[in-house]
Amino acid sequence: MGFGRYLSARVLWAGVVSLIIVTVTFLMLAAAPNPAVRQAATQAALQGGDPAAAAERARELRGLNEPLHVRYFDFIQSVYTLDWGWSVSRSQPVMEAVTQALYYTAQYSIPWTILTIILGPLVGVYSAANMYSWKDHAATGFAFFGYAIPNFFFGIILLLVFGVWLEWIPITYNTGVPVFSVENAIQLAIPVFVLVTGSIGAVMRVSRNESAEFQNADFMKTAKAKGVSPLRAYAYHVMRPTLVPLSTTLVGQLLALFLGASLLVEVVFAIPGLGRLTYEALIAQDTNLVLGTTLFFTFVAVIGNLIEDLVFTVLDPRISYDDR
Amino acid sequence: MATEESERFDQVDWNDLSRSGRFDLSINSLGMLLTTLPLALLGVYDWQFTGRRTPTFEFIGLDRGLETIDFFFIFTLLLAFWYLVVPLYQNPRMTRYYWKEFKRNRPAVVSLGWLAIVFVGGLFGPLIMDPPQQELLIAYQPPVFTSVVDTTPATCVGEVVSGQCQGTWQHPLGTTQGGKDVFTMIVYGMTISMQIAFITTTIVAVIGVTFGTLSAYAGGWVDEVMMRFVDIILSFPTFLMFLLILYIYGGGLGMFIVVFSLFAWGGMARYVRSKSLSISEEEFIKASRISGASTYQVIRGHVVPNAASSIITNLTLLIPGFLLFEAQLAFLGIGDSAVPSWGQLISAGRSDLSFAPWIVLAPGIVLFLTILAFNFLGDALLDALNPEAEAENA
Repeated sequence: MGFGRYLSARVLWAGVVSLIIVTVTFLMLAAAPNPAVRQAATQAALQGGDPAAAAERARELRGLNEPLHVRYFDFIQSVYTLDWGWSVSRSQPVMEAVTQALYYTAQYSIPWTILTIILGPLVGVYSAANMYSWKDHAATGFAFFGYAIPNFFFGIILLLVFGVWLEWIPITYNTGVPVFSVENAIQLAIPVFVLVTGSIGAVMRVSRNESAEFQNADFMKTAKAKGVSPLRAYAYHVMRPTLVPLSTTLVGQLLALFLGASLLVEVVFAIPGLGRLTYEALIAQDTNLVLGTTLFFTFVAVIGNLIEDLVFTVLDPRISYDDR
Repeated sequence: MATEESERFDQVDWNDLSRSGRFDLSINSLGMLLTTLPLALLGVYDWQFTGRRTPTFEFIGLDRGLETIDFFFIFTLLLAFWYLVVPLYQNPRMTRYYWKEFKRNRPAVVSLGWLAIVFVGGLFGPLIMDPPQQELLIAYQPPVFTSVVDTTPATCVGEVVSGQCQGTWQHPLGTTQGGKDVFTMIVYGMTISMQIAFITTTIVAVIGVTFGTLSAYAGGWVDEVMMRFVDIILSFPTFLMFLLILYIYGGGLGMFIVVFSLFAWGGMARYVRSKSLSISEEEFIKASRISGASTYQVIRGHVVPNAASSIITNLTLLIPGFLLFEAQLAFLGIGDSAVPSWGQLISAGRSDLSFAPWIVLAPGIVLFLTILAFNFLGDALLDALNPEAEAENA
């Protein structure tokens, strides 16, 4: 199988996975009583009307009386044409709410991702180069600390120390400041730090263990014997082969963290991003918005996995396409 | 020693081995059956004959009930005892070897000690300690050895020294805004964490191993379909799907355990499949096949034991993720607020953080230590149980 065929098969598979997830979501929604219908019935009962008739009207209005397969195709069509409905709690289209929130999420996710991708392998390779020294132990300790401390708990503590006691950072997020300004950097510093400590540990561990293998490889000995400077030797002969296995785990781990942690960190730091939007939609019982935000995260996950697989095959020529 | 004698090849009791058909029960299975039976009977009794709100043990005058989840928890504990602890006792030579390897990793030994505390506390704490009571009068007591300004607690239980309320041993970790004892709440949270740890790992292990071996032995297109299914399971965003499920159906701790374990076995199935594929090529499998071993016997006797070390390591490293997810959901307040978990306590103390930080700090640090301990333990088990993974430390 050539690369072209592998590529198209992989993209097709990503499409199938997303379709399955959307279908499961639809079935879950279809099997449960619709909160909007219940609400209409309650309201009618409170106002002395006929609850059954009101429920029927609400069902009619939302097209819930249509047969299941018609509703399913409608649902699929609107999901893939990005027509995600109207958010009642925010009085705007779901798509618009999502893009607005994405603007704030991107402001901290982009520096976070870049820092993790750059610092993680660097520190990992550095601690492999100084294996079992105090520097290595310190880095390992930090990795385990970041790995084990719950992000939201760490965020609360840092907010307490730097926001409440020392008053170095604002406690509430200010949306009014420009993106590239000192104020914005200050208020995003702690959330980014919390997320980086959470994600960098795994990257550091993997790159440390992987690069340990290449430390004493023959090509390293040759390079040293030829008098290649240590910096160059590590950059060219250790870092590069380390990045290949790292890339397989990196995207998946970052994504897993992005989905879970961004929600928590945004709630803790009151950043009006995607995670907070999801949370508020859940609280406000806004079905369209809940669906929109969770589906958005899902699509990000599916596309991320796709990119990870493709990057892996491009980076490592040893992989045969038939294997996967 | 007697045990080492019987390991010698020429003294193997072949009669004993050839007798062991499918219906001969090992001592472990027998013990498992004998202990599960009363549990099952009690479960049926609780389900059929007592009222919904009547505690299970009312017939002997105990005012304690068992929830459905408790029955599953006890069942998994029995499983762990008969198939993990007893085999270790039966093979003292291997146990000593594992312990020697494990002991070399000092943080892991400390972690094991900590997890033992959490385990024992979670198991027996709720039996000997009364549930935390709401007592508004003694709200915001500081932990022992610390003090706060006298105006913070409603009434100070300890001494007041120069306007500072001192903590007491009555409430070693202080009290919450409702006057509940933080230490008692943490012990009750240990039970929740242990329930999550034991039940999820059991479900993940059972589904993962079954699915993996079935897929490997079926082969062909069945294998292909099953592995694609695993791909879907692996790329499913469980946390978000659980949010959706909570939103649509609601649900408590039981729902959490079921959903998260149903979507976590993908990696395990993949691993077991590749292990059974590689092991079925080995000479000793061919030998046992020629001697007439059935597929079930090969899987039960060779594939699972050979994969066991990695399965256990894998499971140990899965648990911290579950604990973290539970804490996150509890913190967001979209889980079941009646479950007294650590995350619930963190979330409850958040509004009083600036003047009563112990309410958040105590459960947060316990949660942190537990997650850390599971990670250390998993790392050490990887080295101790699996000599092939030695390269990691080379």
